[in-house]
Amino acid sequence: MIIRELIHLLQLVALVALQALVFNHMHLFGYATPLVYVCFLLYFPLNYSRCGILLWGFAAGLLTDIFSNTPGVGTASTTLVAMIQPVLLQAMAPKDCVEDMMPNFHTMGYGNYARFFIILIVVHHLLFFALESFSYFNPLHLLLSCGSSIALTTSIVWAIEHLLNRKS
Amino acid sequence: MQSFIDRLLQYAHWVIFLVLEALSGWMLFRFNAYQGSVWFTQANAVAGYVLDCQAKILQFVHLKDQNSQLTQDILLLQQENESMRTQLAQLTQDSSYTQKVQAELLNGEKLIPAHVISNSIKQKDNFITLDKGLKDGIRTEMGVVSGTGIVGITYLVSNHFSVVLPILNSHSNISCRLRGTNYFGSLKWDGGSPLQAYMDDIPRHARCKIGDIVETSGFSSVFPAGIFVGKVIQVKNSKDGLSYRLEVQLSTDLAQIRDVRIVSNSRQAELDSLQRQVK
Repeated sequence: MIIRELIHLLQLVALVALQALVFNHMHLFGYATPLVYVCFLLYFPLNYSRCGILLWGFAAGLLTDIFSNTPGVGTASTTLVAMIQPVLLQAMAPKDCVEDMMPNFHTMGYGNYARFFIILIVVHHLLFFALESFSYFNPLHLLLSCGSSIALTTSIVWAIEHLLNRKS
Repeated sequence: MQSFIDRLLQYAHWVIFLVLEALSGWMLFRFNAYQGSVWFTQANAVAGYVLDCQAKILQFVHLKDQNSQLTQDILLLQQENESMRTQLAQLTQDSSYTQKVQAELLNGEKLIPAHVISNSIKQKDNFITLDKGLKDGIRTEMGVVSGTGIVGITYLVSNHFSVVLPILNSHSNISCRLRGTNYFGSLKWDGGSPLQAYMDDIPRHARCKIGDIVETSGFSSVFPAGIFVGKVIQVKNSKDGLSYRLEVQLSTDLAQIRDVRIVSNSRQAELDSLQRQVK
């Protein structure tokens, strides 16, 4: 049990470091900035404590905010993602899965898992960009940066998934 | 009891969710200058709207007071306007043609300024009292004029006061003529309007019409010739039918006369002494 939480902590530190040191400095075409740290919340198994995942999500957002100088924006987004992740997982998990199923390509199937993390990423980005710009004077720019960031984050998360699965 | 706590714990994640989101919101507005400023301007816009509504309501409630205040202001302004008009009328009147001509006529005469201290117009025999008398060089039988025409003749003189027999007295009898002709008659008044007198003894062959100007004839030493008296407004036959009687509109409104001049003829003393020798 404690080992599991430690793994979560390690994942968190690794992802935040990756986000702060690498991805925050990416501004592809002036629009796209990947927010990869959100995939931290994908690695919580079915029937994990809802209060626990909320706190983890908040912690992830807080750490990223501290490094990327956006206090409140990341925490609000990741807390929302942490709120809906268990519900979404419950709905999309196959019926014959184990009690504490770890969501990935193998357990959920390729399409289901893709849908699962794409929905979470989209929700996170929408809230993140809405809060960060906090104005709708330039909706085209907002949509462009939001959409391109979603695409970039999704592809990076996808790549990470493949990388981890091949290793394991 | 246990089931109640379980029920509560079922919803614990909602509470935590809300608390964490509230915390995020607080951080968002507390630590971000832009979001904070937006919050403040939004708040201010709401406050401004509320205050604007309040001001409008208060304005409406105070309309009644404002109205009465405005009415008062209008009254004051009307009074001021009225007094301004009066002053303007006086000033323009003073510089009128009549005034200029009269000033020229009286140029050679010695004029003694005086103030009216008592006046009447309602009786058949009216008198005007002036605040100048013997000490100021006033004698009886001196002409009194105002800016707009003749007023009367001094009648009684004491050391400091004098009484004038004005046109508006049944005993007044001032020799006048029609301007441009030498037909003369005497100006008389027998009550009625203080603005109208009549002139008798105009011969029937004299051509006179409404609008002719009546001025002093200069036959007596009281008034120099040519001082404005008034205008003819009606030509009538006299009672005996031998001459005309002219209704004259007086140029001087004796009802509101304040400042007058007394015409002091320097030759009058000489004339008086001559007449005394004759007697």
